[in-house]
Amino acid sequence: MSDKIDHISRQKFMEELRRYQKGSVSRRHFLGVTGLGAAAAALGAAMPALLPRPAFAQANIGDRVILATWPNYHDPANFDAFAAETGAAVQMNVFGSNEEMLAKLQAGGSGWDVFIPTNYTISTYVEQDLIEPLDLSLIPNYDGVSFDQRFAGPGTIDGKVYAVPKNWGTTGFAVNTNNTGGTTPTTWKEFWDLTQTTFSGRTMVHDYQLTTIGNALKYFGYSFNSIDTAELADAEKLLMACKPHLFAISSDYQPSMRSGDAWMTICWTGDGKQMNRDMPEIVYVLGKEGGELWSDFYAIPKGAPHRDAAYALINFLLTPDINAKEVLFHGYPVADSRVNALLPPEVLNDPILYPAADLLSALEFGAAATLTDPNRAELMARFKSA
Amino acid sequence: MQRRLSTWLLLAPAGLWFAVMLVLPLCFVLVFSFGQREAAGGYVPAFTFEQYANLPARWTAFRNTLTLAPLGTILSLLIAYPLAYFLAMRADPKWRTMLLILVIVPFWTSILIRSYAWIFILGGQGLPALVDWLGFGSIRLINTPFAVLTGIVYGYLPLMVLPVYVSLERLDKRLLEASADLGAPPLQSFLQITLPLSLPGVATGCMLVFILLMGEFLIPAMLGGGKVFFIGNALVDLFLQSRNWAFGAAVAVTLVAIMLVTVTLYMSLMRRLGGAREDVSLM
Amino acid sequence: MRLYALFVYVFLYLPIAVIAIFSLNAGRHASQFTGFSTQWYAKALSNPFVMEALWTSFVVALCSAIIASIFGTMAALGLQGMKGRVRVLADALIYVAVMVPGIVIGIATLIALVTLFGWINPLLALLAPEGRAPQLAMGYGSLIAAHALFSMSLVIIILRARLAGMDRSLMEASADLYAPPLATFRQVTLPLIFPGILAGFLLSFTFSFDDFIIAFFVAGSETTLPIYVFSSIRRGVTPEINAIGTMVLAVSLLLLIVAQLILRSGTRKGGR
Repeated sequence: MSDKIDHISRQKFMEELRRYQKGSVSRRHFLGVTGLGAAAAALGAAMPALLPRPAFAQANIGDRVILATWPNYHDPANFDAFAAETGAAVQMNVFGSNEEMLAKLQAGGSGWDVFIPTNYTISTYVEQDLIEPLDLSLIPNYDGVSFDQRFAGPGTIDGKVYAVPKNWGTTGFAVNTNNTGGTTPTTWKEFWDLTQTTFSGRTMVHDYQLTTIGNALKYFGYSFNSIDTAELADAEKLLMACKPHLFAISSDYQPSMRSGDAWMTICWTGDGKQMNRDMPEIVYVLGKEGGELWSDFYAIPKGAPHRDAAYALINFLLTPDINAKEVLFHGYPVADSRVNALLPPEVLNDPILYPAADLLSALEFGAAATLTDPNRAELMARFKSA
Repeated sequence: MQRRLSTWLLLAPAGLWFAVMLVLPLCFVLVFSFGQREAAGGYVPAFTFEQYANLPARWTAFRNTLTLAPLGTILSLLIAYPLAYFLAMRADPKWRTMLLILVIVPFWTSILIRSYAWIFILGGQGLPALVDWLGFGSIRLINTPFAVLTGIVYGYLPLMVLPVYVSLERLDKRLLEASADLGAPPLQSFLQITLPLSLPGVATGCMLVFILLMGEFLIPAMLGGGKVFFIGNALVDLFLQSRNWAFGAAVAVTLVAIMLVTVTLYMSLMRRLGGAREDVSLM
Repeated sequence: MRLYALFVYVFLYLPIAVIAIFSLNAGRHASQFTGFSTQWYAKALSNPFVMEALWTSFVVALCSAIIASIFGTMAALGLQGMKGRVRVLADALIYVAVMVPGIVIGIATLIALVTLFGWINPLLALLAPEGRAPQLAMGYGSLIAAHALFSMSLVIIILRARLAGMDRSLMEASADLYAPPLATFRQVTLPLIFPGILAGFLLSFTFSFDDFIIAFFVAGSETTLPIYVFSSIRRGVTPEINAIGTMVLAVSLLLLIVAQLILRSGTRKGGR
């Protein structure tokens, strides 16, 4: 959670919003106090922010909606605005891996209304009959045409839309350059070599197999998605050699990176952006060998207890101006051209969000087989318990 | 006849509860441990020893548990014994109960929150910053076996102090006076009288702490940074990440088997050494 | 010696002090103290999910402690003076319930209940073809049942120690005077063992209220306070967690003191 965006406390924001809604303060006062004025200016004149939105058709969607999501992935102010608008408070359950989300759904009774699967998991959820096709009439703010198909495509299976895109991103690594003596590593080879030498005890890797094994495979120049047993054996050897040198195996690396306990970590775009924004010495690097390109989606699990609220929340978060605020907070690029039109040029030109073409073209989308491959799962479990 | 009927009625609800919530689940685990992993994760019925054959893949987790659990137990004992001795023998009787309650209180408060505190203390801006400031160079504490051990000793210390205290307090003080009157130096009195007579308490405390440590998950998860793995962590990982229920069940069965054997052996050993027959009471 | 004891007490209470101090931190980053404020208490108390998790924990702890106290007391009375195979079986079950790690109990309960529900739910659907069949799922029920199991063992162990130390002649005298068994129970046995039951109840409540690992597996969609705290820690460390922690510690402490007082006054009256 960054302090910079959170100019005033949430509570204060809510109070101001309520006062504004009641008409006791002017819009100018509201925008000024909340700092949204500055954001609005940055978003440009076209921004339809705070114009009265069409009221939600379902007057009563209940008082809550439960969202399973990832660390540092939403602007809390948007949830407060959603609660003010609909009366439904958002409860976040934060997860560290798609495997964990899948395990929770497979065990049954997760109680989630909305969750955020990544591109390569969706076909598995459909096969396992764990998610329902979306009723797009309940998500009027989703406009399929405005989305880049490369990132929106995996949400559609057999012609049915099961998930709508949230944002996309890359998986690279973040490194605190205060500790590198001025140079910045640029490859996965350097990442793993540094881990075993000068960065011993200071590196973090994700606690799920896809990226940790995938980027170890990249050390040898293999595919990120390899399920070849010989190639996986090489990756295992590397991981086992690095294990004693790691600071931690965790997908929530921001606190340790910010406190200086960790110097380098496998990292997603937005976390890289958030850390770089507050601490310029932490830079985000895409390994030259490649790595992962991914796209996250909103989906609704079968048997969601607050289905109406789930649709309302997805619809709300896909509203272009709300989504633009999400981007400014989380620092991940979105595939929605309507949102991009609202973003200031410095965001659209940010090399962390939009990497150079040669770096981007080396990346691979994760595959469904990579997620479910039992050998990769067991390799990761062995690595963690080693 | 009527008395027998009423006895059965008294036992029925608890019996049913134990059957459904303990015996049945343990049977399920046993059955699952002979099954197989479903392709996308989960369980397929089968009868195979594959999972048990795969157990060496978790050898490190077993080894960590089987070394850090006894080590943690012994460390707790070493720290707890002098405190219990002080409370039972040296403390002002007026304050004794109060001091004892102060030892117990932390144990009955959330271990989650107490371990969380150690994340602060052992983190880069806690103790290591202090050490660095004092000029002893930079050290790293969090996410090491040391951190996990600290958390363990901290978490279970009260559980060790209490039984030792009880056995020391019950000790007949006249024996010590007699020993002193006969000219035995204090150390000899301690070694020949106090220590042997406090062994039942030591045995109870060690057993309690050891049992809890064997199934530990939270402390390594919070203070080990995913690097110091106990069997408990391997189990959580198998069920909540790699979704291999069959293998997870096999690991669970093995853990329970190890515990049953160790604890039974330990208890019979202690019984032979004479003592530790009393029921364990935590308060 | 005294210095050593002091050192151990500092070791025991330093972390608790750290939690309490940082709960009063004005800044949102828990690692640096930037000023004094009670805002995180207000935040925690006005956070609907904290309140709800607290309520869930409370209901589960209360129900499981009540069930454990009643059934545990009944079982302890039933087992009193019993010998033979039933006694051996009962001892073994209690021994296993206390000894098997919580993590295995949690996993085993999850496996068993998920599988059982998988069998029962289609049957329920068949019995009520209108499609309004109640569906069994993990939640309050599974949480209470799992916690009650451990607590019941606790109550039985405490009461057995108490019943063993009790003067049986009192009950025999009561029976000799032709008091019906129920009257003997109400007027003789119950007052004698009541402090034990109450202590067992309070310990059960505290156990359930603090339990994380069993709840982690069997809570289904419910969130207890420890589960909430655990996932908050993963979400990043803020003083709000410290505030919740301090309040939880304070409540546990209060319960403990009450339990201790009751147990001691009971001991004095019961005369052991």
